Amino acid sequence: MSSTSQKHKDFVAEPMGEKPVNALAGIGEVLGKRLEEKGFDKAYVVLGQFLVLKKDEELFRDWLKDTCSANTKQQGDCFGCLKEWCDAFL
Amino acid sequence: MASTQLTDEELFSELKHFGFTPGPVTENTRPVYLKKLKKLRDEQQQRGSRAGKTRSTGAIHSPSGGGNTAGPRPASHDVTHLSSSRRPGRKSSVLGFSSDESDAETPVNRKGRQADRSPGFPQHPKIRPTTPSVANKSQYGATLNSTNSSPGPGRQRGVSLGWGVRARSSPEAEGKDYDESGDEDDYEGEIEKNSRSLNGCGASHLNTSKLAGDYSDSDEEEVRGPGVGDLQQERLVPNVRRSHPKAEFAFHVVGRGSQTGGAARQVNPPEGLNMVGNRREEGEGGKGKRRDSDTPGGLRSHTVSPRKTIYVSLAENHGGEAGKNNHVDGEDGAYRSSRFAIGLRPRFSNYSSLSQTYRSNHSNHTAPNHSYSQAVLKQKLSVPEDELLQQFKREEVASSGSFSAHYLSMFLLTAACLFFLLLGLMYLRMRGSGSSEVDEVIKSHPFGSEFDELYNKTEKDLILKLLLNLHDHLAQVAGQYDCGDQQHLNRSLSMAEASTYLRSQNQDFDGFIETSLEWIIRTGQDVGIRLTGQVADEPLTDVSEISRLESSHPKMPFTCRFRRAFFTVISRVSLIAVVVGCVWSVVCYMKFRWRREEEDTRQMYDMVERIIDVLRSHSEACQENQDLQPYLPIPHVRDSLVQPQDRKKMKKIWERAEKFLAANESRIRKETQRIGGADFLVWRWIQPSLSCDKTSSMNSKVWQGKAFPLDRRNSPPNSLTPCLKIRNMFDPIMEVGENWDLAIHEAILEKCNDNDGIVHIAVDKNSREGCVYVKCLSAEHSGRAFKALHGSWFDGKLVTVKYLRLDRYHQRFPQAQGSSTPLKASSPPLSTTGTMNTVPHLQHRGAGNSSGFS
Repeated sequence: MSSTSQKHKDFVAEPMGEKPVNALAGIGEVLGKRLEEKGFDKAYVVLGQFLVLKKDEELFRDWLKDTCSANTKQQGDCFGCLKEWCDAFL
Repeated sequence: MASTQLTDEELFSELKHFGFTPGPVTENTRPVYLKKLKKLRDEQQQRGSRAGKTRSTGAIHSPSGGGNTAGPRPASHDVTHLSSSRRPGRKSSVLGFSSDESDAETPVNRKGRQADRSPGFPQHPKIRPTTPSVANKSQYGATLNSTNSSPGPGRQRGVSLGWGVRARSSPEAEGKDYDESGDEDDYEGEIEKNSRSLNGCGASHLNTSKLAGDYSDSDEEEVRGPGVGDLQQERLVPNVRRSHPKAEFAFHVVGRGSQTGGAARQVNPPEGLNMVGNRREEGEGGKGKRRDSDTPGGLRSHTVSPRKTIYVSLAENHGGEAGKNNHVDGEDGAYRSSRFAIGLRPRFSNYSSLSQTYRSNHSNHTAPNHSYSQAVLKQKLSVPEDELLQQFKREEVASSGSFSAHYLSMFLLTAACLFFLLLGLMYLRMRGSGSSEVDEVIKSHPFGSEFDELYNKTEKDLILKLLLNLHDHLAQVAGQYDCGDQQHLNRSLSMAEASTYLRSQNQDFDGFIETSLEWIIRTGQDVGIRLTGQVADEPLTDVSEISRLESSHPKMPFTCRFRRAFFTVISRVSLIAVVVGCVWSVVCYMKFRWRREEEDTRQMYDMVERIIDVLRSHSEACQENQDLQPYLPIPHVRDSLVQPQDRKKMKKIWERAEKFLAANESRIRKETQRIGGADFLVWRWIQPSLSCDKTSSMNSKVWQGKAFPLDRRNSPPNSLTPCLKIRNMFDPIMEVGENWDLAIHEAILEKCNDNDGIVHIAVDKNSREGCVYVKCLSAEHSGRAFKALHGSWFDGKLVTVKYLRLDRYHQRFPQAQGSSTPLKASSPPLSTTGTMNTVPHLQHRGAGNSSGFS
């Protein structure tokens, strides 16, 4: 199997719709809460940020780190998840 | 943060300046972009400073700088390269600065500044660090630029530049919370330290840098304290702002430097000026913060000037520190001082501490910019030498401790050697001289108590003295004889000679000669005289039988002894060495032989294997092609396996291989055949070939089961489009054969044989991901296909499927637009579940070997 988590697969398998931000790979409860506090309450808002950063990995990672203090793994997971989603559906 | 002064547009343009196209700078993305900008600036600074090898210093600086705002200071390390590189570097360093200047000026000034700075940088005038520093600073606050610009024109040449910068920095400093005051504080501290640490090389710097580190923003004025620097500072501060007593300042600084420098002020006035100027630049460039402290920094540099090395490192550090405003003070100071002192050694990056100390100076040293340019130039020229020299110096210092240790060990070694030598010589001497022995004889004689009783004292003495004389004489004779002195033909003396000699010694001896000899005979001990009779080796019993006297304790001169001893030792040692050498050579030879044997055997086996392979492949070829003879002539095999140039060498090995085969290989038979009219010894492979082991080992494309059950989570609930993109079905690099894509087609059709809706399949041969595009009649069909394919194992790879948009698909494969007839698997559909029939000849037909279990 690939090295992506089940969450990743779930997210990437279909359009995100109104999924909460917790549905993103790498974003758990704590991080999700932090993001929500900052105003990123839905996954598509984070997607928006991802797109605004032009899908640049480094920038997005930095942003994630700044916004919700995600660690490297979480950053990577989230980035990969969004990237793949974009590849599939965008 | 100073960065907040930067508007979105500015940030955007700055980023673009680096060649990086940012996305929109929004409230959310702003911090990210700021960080990126900082990083880019750092990189640029590093790149610039790297040229001057300031990197290390910079790196070192930063940590020590600690609290100091890094600011643009790092950029300043590399004086020579700084101008252009600094500018960008400055940007990052400016981050820490809070720029006083209004932002409005920044972009304009900055750009302009950079423009005129970069070209000129390498040269004197260009060096004006202030400009670059200003530029950097202004990046964020634009203040730098403004300040720079103002003094700019005047500053171009050294002093003015420095001043201008300083002026700039002063206003900036006020506004900024960083190191203005800190700089001054540090500055002063540094000055003191510098003077103190002139010899210390760095310790003080560290201190100063620390000082710089904890400077507080508030105290601009504090710094004025310490003497030398203070005065300057004061003068500087009021004057700095756009004042032009730069020249004065420089001189003052120089003067101060001399005062403070004390000990080894290496700074000569011009240098000092330069240093000051340099410092400035560094200060400017690097951190831009403390303009005010530049002056003090310049001073400090003076004091520190003796420390060339430090300066160099400072310079380097400065460069390296780019992003750290904290280090501004320290670096500035250090930088300046380094520049200052060195004049010629611009960069010694190792002295980060130094740079730190100077950092504070740095910020303040806008003034000494004038000298800076000069210094920079000199520095540039002499950097390599200086660095080298400085390194050596440092090494010297460092090695002093070890030096003594080294000496100590050498001394001990020589002492031990001398001791042993002395011992040996003494031993030889002792052996050579028998004086004590001789004396002993007189006192105690080996003749026993009878002797004492028989004669009275005088007679006893006479006898003993006689014997002594005789003994000595004989010893001498023997010694001379032994030493190769052919004066005496014989080692021993005849009786007559002995008597003559003794008589000549003392008339009284005459009567006692025989008596004493008698006594010698009587005593069994060895008194050092050996008496031999006419017939050798017979014990004497009577005096009359004595014919020769010989000494058994020859007395030889010392050199002779030494020589003999030496020769003895040498001969013995050489003998042992020869023996050891022989043994060792024998061992080596044995090892060599053994290794050779191993090698030969290995080669032989290798040859055997190759022969077997050749024969086997030949026999297989024969099976397929009935025209060939099933045997191969041995010489032909040999010649095909062994290169012509090796034939001679391999002859022996070949023969061994042949023998081995004959003895141990059962599948090869040697026979004689007639080929082309001549008889040849041939080899025949007589093992019946195994059936199809090759084909069966080939990888066949099969469906190998499903990896995960498809449910709502990992697949779309409904099929979205009629087009599918299947990934990971093959690896284009690994594929061999002509029609593997057809095999893929077949495989897909096989898998979806229950689905009559596949109308187009396209294998993207070049895709690294192994993509296959499938179009179905309808979404429903594609959904079914999706379910069948997604997550299955195929040929060892996990296949994933996703939906594609129809129009995209048509764009890509226009021919698919018209296809509407369902495709069918070309081979008879073997059920994909449960059958284990493997059809060997359908090697590449994945469908043929489908053993997939759904």
